[in-house]
Formats: sequence, structure tokens, C-alpha cells
Amino acid sequence: MLQLLLIAFRNLGTHRRRTLLLGGAIAGVTALLVVLMGLSTGMKDTMLRSATTLATGHVNVGGFYKVTAGQSAPVVTGYPKVIEQVRKDVPELDYIVQRGRGWVKVVSEVGSSQVGLGGIDVEAEPGIRKVLQIKEGSLDGLKERDTVLLFEKQAKRLEVKVGDTVTLSAPTLRGTNNTVDVRVAAIAANVGLMSDFNIFVPNSTLRSLYQLKDDTTGAIYLYLKDVAQVPAVQARLRQTLAAAGHELMDNDPRAFWMKFEVVNREGWTGQKLDITNWEDEISFINWTLTALNGLTGVLIFVLLVIICVGIMNTLWIAIRERTREIGTLRAIGMQRTRVLAMFVFEALTLGFLGTLAGAVIGLAVCLGINAADISVPEVVAVFIMSEKLNLAVNAGSVVGAMLFITACTTAISLIPSFLAARMKPVTAMHHIG
Amino acid sequence: MNPAAKAPIVSITNVTKDYNLGKVVVPALRGVDLQVHPGEFISIAGPSGSGKTTLLNLIGCVDTATTGVVSVAGQDTKQLSERQLTNLRLHTIGFIFQSFNLVSVLTVFQNVEFPLLLQRKLDKAQRRERVMQLLEQVGLAGHAKHRPNELSGGQRQRVAVARALVTRPQLVLADEPTANLDSVTGQHIIDLMKELNQKEGTTFIFSTHDAKVMNHANAVWRLADGKILDRLSASEAQRAMAVGGH
Ligand SMILES: Nc1ncnc2c1ncn2[C@@H]1O[C@H](COP(=O)(O)OP(=O)(O)OP(=O)(O)O)[C@@H](O)[C@H]1O
Ligand SMILES: [Mg+2]
Repeated sequence: MLQLLLIAFRNLGTHRRRTLLLGGAIAGVTALLVVLMGLSTGMKDTMLRSATTLATGHVNVGGFYKVTAGQSAPVVTGYPKVIEQVRKDVPELDYIVQRGRGWVKVVSEVGSSQVGLGGIDVEAEPGIRKVLQIKEGSLDGLKERDTVLLFEKQAKRLEVKVGDTVTLSAPTLRGTNNTVDVRVAAIAANVGLMSDFNIFVPNSTLRSLYQLKDDTTGAIYLYLKDVAQVPAVQARLRQTLAAAGHELMDNDPRAFWMKFEVVNREGWTGQKLDITNWEDEISFINWTLTALNGLTGVLIFVLLVIICVGIMNTLWIAIRERTREIGTLRAIGMQRTRVLAMFVFEALTLGFLGTLAGAVIGLAVCLGINAADISVPEVVAVFIMSEKLNLAVNAGSVVGAMLFITACTTAISLIPSFLAARMKPVTAMHHIG
Repeated sequence: MNPAAKAPIVSITNVTKDYNLGKVVVPALRGVDLQVHPGEFISIAGPSGSGKTTLLNLIGCVDTATTGVVSVAGQDTKQLSERQLTNLRLHTIGFIFQSFNLVSVLTVFQNVEFPLLLQRKLDKAQRRERVMQLLEQVGLAGHAKHRPNELSGGQRQRVAVARALVTRPQLVLADEPTANLDSVTGQHIIDLMKELNQKEGTTFIFSTHDAKVMNHANAVWRLADGKILDRLSASEAQRAMAVGGH
């Protein structure tokens, strides 16, 4: 058996050019595949991290309060009690925050824009520091009352700097507009879509703007240690919160701001809780993920077809010499199955070494790109919610890619050997072709 | 020794072999009958294209007859599975091909050792001893680590001889084993075969043009145009060749 391996290795070594060509091609495709997957998962990761920190938790307990049947506010009243219960019911919890939510007009001396308003308690928000890159001022500035965090884009549009004052104007349930003047405490780097539509103020400011009670907030965001736990936690909360006497809305997998119409049409009044997950809240941008996956898939498929055709060409050119060798081995008394085993081994070795080299190169490229801190074009930034390119490599999918490519190339490269092993030894020995 | 006392090791009955070249059918053998008994040292002689290689290929189980029966070691080769045929080639037959057919990526030593590895009968030390002894005998002990492409035609020929003999097969088929050798080396190889034939009773069937080689044969089968002309003794054959030559 050792001799089988020996011949296989010798074959690879003797036909160095062919080996390098094929191995190189396999390595190239693997590297490309790894980089593409890194790009795709990296974009997905970035997008999810930004979105799940800025616009949603992994699981959210939100809801609506209706004074009359037709008037709803997206708030949770008596939230400290809810948080207490959630802490008890969800041991998977990493941390929990509560955010006020609203929709306001920001007005400066030169312009105005409509944005979503988030009320945060900066001290209680470990995630937001990781996601937001502060360009000017500091996040800690938001500890003070009546301050605001803007994104670069908005600051530019409104022509304001840290220290300047802008006015927030919000329509209330009673039909009047409440206003509050806030000082710009921090300007953060854009995070794609989010930066167009969101600003953050301290919760206290949001409460006074909407004249909410201290125990009222917009929603409670739960961050779990493991995102895979989301469905379980969501299902559990539905039960325990209902059991604790809270009214729950039917499950509706959409962002909260898409639900006003439905909620206002329903007849109930008072408080109802709504339990959603991160996918629901950012469902409106999820299609970009689907598109990204589709694109990567198509690209990978095309690449694989090209490489397979290339390998077939190269190998089948070598078939003449190969066929003679197989004929000889068979004539000496080597069984067909062992001949094939030998070539399988050769192809596997080539495939494995090729993909291994490719994976290493691909990983190096990914790390290099991450280290190079490359900015992405604005259109891309809008979707991935980050201005920087970040490639994330998933060990499982790299191994999967290696196995897949090795399997493909082995299968392809075995066809000529298989045909040769089926010939009569003498035919194979004198093969001219 | 009376050859008829033992069952023949090779028995060929009414064998034909046609090569199909697209539309043209080339008849290479047209009804050959022949028997070889264990311990015989047989030469097959005939002009180029008379079918010598074709006949040896059939006996060596690397090709199949178009019609007729080829029996080797008492077994009708048509009845054997591919696996059984391969085993027959490995354990019973040693074949020296006209075009050597060495494995180019293996060294001389590894080429000769290969059939022993396939047989799995000897351990490493035994294999080494057997291979080196044979290389010694064919005068290539100093070339054990060379690759075939570093050898001359004659040297490759001798590697092929060593590879065929290494398993000590019952039956050795040699297709022009001395064609690429100078007369001294050729004589040496023939002596080696003869010695094996006498000591171990190995049966040899070789094709040749060389009258000196025929000298050593028990019998010479003359082949012409795909048919057996006659079976001559060595001296008769030599006389016939001499006549034919004038
Ligand atoms: N693979 C093949 N395809 C077609 N025809 C073949 C093939 N091999 C041999 N022949 C033909 O069969 C006949 C016998 O050939 P063979 O090789 O057996 O002759 P030979 O006696 O060995 O000749 P030489 O002394 O030149 O080796 C020849 O006419 C040859 O052209
Ligand atoms: Mg011939």
C-alpha cells in the first residue's frame, strides 16, 4: 500500500508543471471562495451588529399604548417591572437596555430633517460603544440632559458641530408639537442606512419631549449571549409575560413603525406588549442579505465550473502517458481497484494541498483587507451599515469549501484514470492519443 | 523428460485474433494451435508482423482472443473474471514486453520490487535481497537508484527482464528480450533464463529473430502471416533459417 502512495507522490513530483498548474488553480479558487465568503459573512456580520445595536435587540419587548382606539403610542408603560420579570425568565441574557423611541423633526439654523429618535441611557449601553465610532465630541456627553448624538451625514446637512444647539420637534397625541433644544454632544461616523434616519438623545430628554412618565419607555432590548437562543427566548417570554397578566399583541414579524396602521384600526385601548426579534425589526433591509447571498452563490458556481473545465483540460492532455502507465501496472498484475485507489489518492492529495494553500492565502487576504482598513463606496456602506470593509471568516465554512472543492476536482480528475483502468491492459499500454 | 507426461501449461486451440481498425479488420492470428508443457524453453520465430507479439499478449492474459480457447495453467482464460486474470498475471506469469513498459516515476529498484509488493508474500528484507540479487544478475546493481529515463535501451530491457523474473513465475513470456542488447549481454540474459529454466523448471516462451537465441530453445515454432508453419528443433530451425537466408 505504501508503494501506492509513493507512486502517487512521485507522479505529482515528476509532473511538476502540471501539479503546480492544477494545484495553483485549485488554490486560487479556494482562496477566492474564502475571500468571497469572508466578504459575504463580514458584511452580514457588520450589518447585523450595527442594526442589532442601534435599532433592535436580539429580542425586543415593545408595544403600544392606546388612549383611545385610534390613537397609539409605541411605548411600554411600567417597564421596570417588565425588565425585572425578563431578567428572571431569561438566563441566556447578556445584557438588557431600554430605549425610548420616537419620530421627530431636527431643526438647525440652516435646515431640518425627519428622523427616528432613540432615547438611551449611555451608561447602561455596553454595545453601542463598540458599534459607534465617535468622530467628534464623546459618547459620555450624552450623560448630560438635553444633549444629542448625530451622525456625520446629518451634522453636515444641518451644518452643526459639537456644542451647537438644534431643536427637536415632535407631534404629540394631542395634536400639538412639543419642542426641546438639545446640544450636540457627539458626532458619530456614518453607519449606512441607520445614519440617515436615526439620532440619539438621553432617555430623560425623550421623556420630557413626549411628556412620558419615568416608568415609561419605548422598548426593552434583550441581548443574548448566543443569537441561536432567540426563538426559544421569544417563545418563553410570550408565555411568561402573558402569565404575569400582560396583554400581548399577535406575532407580527415587522418593524414597530410599520404597525401603527394595524394597531390604530383595532378596537382595544390601554397597554399591549409586542415581542419581536432582530429579524423582524430589520426585515426591511433583509433583502440585501438575500441578494448578497445569491450573488456570492452565482459567483462561486461560475468559478467552480471554470476551474473544473480547466482541470479536465490539463488532466486529459496527460491522459496518454497516464493511460500507458495504468496499462503497465495492470499487466504486471495490479488490480483495477488498487489502480483506482492510487489515483484517487493522488487526486485527493493534490486537492487537499491545493485547497489548504488556497485557504491560507484566502485567510491572509481577509486579514490583510481588515488590517488595511479599506473604506467601501457609499452605496455599499448604506447597506452594510459600516463605512469600513470587514471580512469575517467562519472556520466551518472554510473547511466546507475545502472539502467541496477537493471533492469536485477529485471527481473530475478521476474520469480519465477510470476510463483507462477499464481498458484491456494491452490497449492501455499501447495507447496513443 | 517426456513433456507429454504433464498437462500443458499453455494450450491454444484454434485461436484467431482480429484487430478492428475502424472499417478495416486486420487478421493478426488466423487459427493457431499450440501447446507448451511445463519446463519447456520455447522460441516463437517469424518475420515482423507475423503475429508474435499478438500471440504472446494472448498467452499473457493482457489481451483476449477473437475466437478459440486460450488456456493458461489449466484455466480457460475466457472463463476467468477480470480479478482472476489479474491474479494469474501477478502470480503465474512474468512478462517482458517488447517496449519494456517500466513505470517512469519509480527507480530501477522500485520497478523490480513492484510485483513483489503486489504479491504481499515477502517482507521488506526478503524483497530487498531478491531484487538486488536479480539486479546483480542482469548487471544493474549499480543502477538501482536510477530512474528508467536515465538508462539506455539495453539497460531498460534488463530492468524489464528482472521485473519479470523477480516473482519466480511458472511461466515467463519474453517479447524479443535480446533485441536491444549487444551480443555479450544478450547471451548473458539468455544464460540467466536457461539457468532458471533448468534449476527451477520455469517455462519460457520468447519471440525472437535471433538465430543464436533460438539455439537454446527446446523447440522453435515458426509463425508466418498469423499461422503456425511448423514446430522445429533448434538445429532444424537453424538449418531452415540458413536456407531461408540464401
Ligand atoms: N493494436 C493493433 N491494432 C491493429 N493492428 C495491429 C495491432 N497490433 C498488431 N497489429 C497487426 O497485427 C499483425 C501482427 O502484429 P504483431 O505485433 O503481433 O507482429 P510481430 O510478429 O510481433 O511483429 P514484430 O516482429 O515487428 O514485433 C500486424 O499486421 C500488425 O500490423
Ligand atoms: Mg512484436
